[in-house]
Amino acid sequence: MSARRHLRNEPAIAAVFELPPGRYPELSTLDLYREVLSRALAAWPLKARDIDGLLVPPADMAGDRPDILMHERFGDELGLRTVLSETMFAGGASYGLMIQRAALAIADGRAAAVLCAGAGKFPRLDEAGRRSMSKIFHPQFELPYGPTIPAMYALLATRHMAEYGTTPEQLAAVSVAARAWALRHPHAYMRSRGAISVEDVLQSALIASPFHLLDCSVPCEGGGVILVTTGELARRISGQPAYIRGMGEFHSHGYQSQTDAFNISVGTREAGAQAFRSADMTPDDIEVIEIYDAFSAMPIICLEDLGFCRKGEGGALAASGRILPGGDLPLNTYGGLLSYGHTGDASGLSMIIEGALQVMNRAGERQVAKAGAALVHCYGGMQADHSTLILSREA
Amino acid sequence: MEAKPIPAISAASAPYWEAAANGKLLLQYCDDCSRYLFYPRSWCPHCYGGALEWRTASGRGAVHTYSVVHAAPCVGFEADAPYVAAVIDLQEGPRMMANIIGCATETVRVGMPVEGIFEARGNIHLPQFRPVTA
Ligand SMILES: [Zn+2]
Repeated sequence: MSARRHLRNEPAIAAVFELPPGRYPELSTLDLYREVLSRALAAWPLKARDIDGLLVPPADMAGDRPDILMHERFGDELGLRTVLSETMFAGGASYGLMIQRAALAIADGRAAAVLCAGAGKFPRLDEAGRRSMSKIFHPQFELPYGPTIPAMYALLATRHMAEYGTTPEQLAAVSVAARAWALRHPHAYMRSRGAISVEDVLQSALIASPFHLLDCSVPCEGGGVILVTTGELARRISGQPAYIRGMGEFHSHGYQSQTDAFNISVGTREAGAQAFRSADMTPDDIEVIEIYDAFSAMPIICLEDLGFCRKGEGGALAASGRILPGGDLPLNTYGGLLSYGHTGDASGLSMIIEGALQVMNRAGERQVAKAGAALVHCYGGMQADHSTLILSREA
Repeated sequence: MEAKPIPAISAASAPYWEAAANGKLLLQYCDDCSRYLFYPRSWCPHCYGGALEWRTASGRGAVHTYSVVHAAPCVGFEADAPYVAAVIDLQEGPRMMANIIGCATETVRVGMPVEGIFEARGNIHLPQFRPVTA
């Protein structure tokens, strides 16, 4: 292989904004969007005529009436006339795929400044909320067996443990590290709860074995927006942008019980390999790692399938201390969905924003000293949809 | 979703549920691909052939993976919790989800041999699995 295929126009993340994850009982989902967009656009030097793309997910996906024309609604509220506008959804991978779509449009010379925005209220876990969340299970061949989202992800963890000897303590180490990072983020939802130990995780209530309560992400509400522009525009806006150097995408099974493998995240492996190829990089080149962590086992499996260690060694890696603050493989440096917060439909935004902030050298107390390149992997559905981004300080 | 859900039978799955009511586990078989399929479908997802043959499965398999569910998804499952949600490697090749019943949850293991039984629920019979005793 020769030098990497540069994307034309140096697509980059020029600016990011995120509401502190929390509880916003007085705000509807649409109000959360307005809060996000009004605050971001007040801070950024942009007028309506500067924005030529808008990508958003449907609102209230877990509710009874999702709004599937959000790009029209907010395109109108923002007075936009765009060359690229779409309401798109692939669960937690939605935002990663929006960034990819925006970057490709910019590289193609069609767009110059694309807003990728989202806001979410974590579905209420009452009767109606549970009914709507159950839509992700096969109505005839999964739902009658009483599956839950934690149980469906636990199927991966159990198989991984059986094949490789991964332990509950190693899973817990992921949650412990997430909390350690969250203590360094002023807005992390669980920051005020203080540090946790492996013992704390193992002594929390069992939800779906092997997952305890503290192996599960923490539900809350929030939202954010990412501005993707040409490199030239990004440099004017932020000085140090986060250039989009590598991208990968993969889609597999629709139903978790029919996934190709329970010990491997096939979509992670495929999307990751594609991202490394497009960036002409290897895992050795990555200095910050952000991996969607709906449950503690997933970063362990994904670290392996992204190539940061050999297959089966993810548990030992997680427990080694290398993913902690000060370690050489900083993972989920904002606290992850486990401790920063899982903002429902907006959850896939937080880790991209963090990857960008690290590369832009704007991560405050939690800034990783050497953050030249960050990998951000997100998945959605029952890990059916996958997006890998490689962000870099250099175009 | 207060009660345990009763699956709505579709055209593609009708023979599966009819056989289950008679204590038989049926699988579709694609002659062109020489393989069994799960779940019941209108066409083979490998070759798109529509000539799928229904064959009676052995009902034997092994636990591929599982989770002991403590936080139930709805009232109907609360009385059962903790219960085992599992994925079974069927002897014929495909995998299917089921509960492992008829044993203590802590005795379930990956690789454990299991056999099919049928749970009456509403107007249907739901394929389930229990440890092989003999
Ligand atoms: Zn076939």
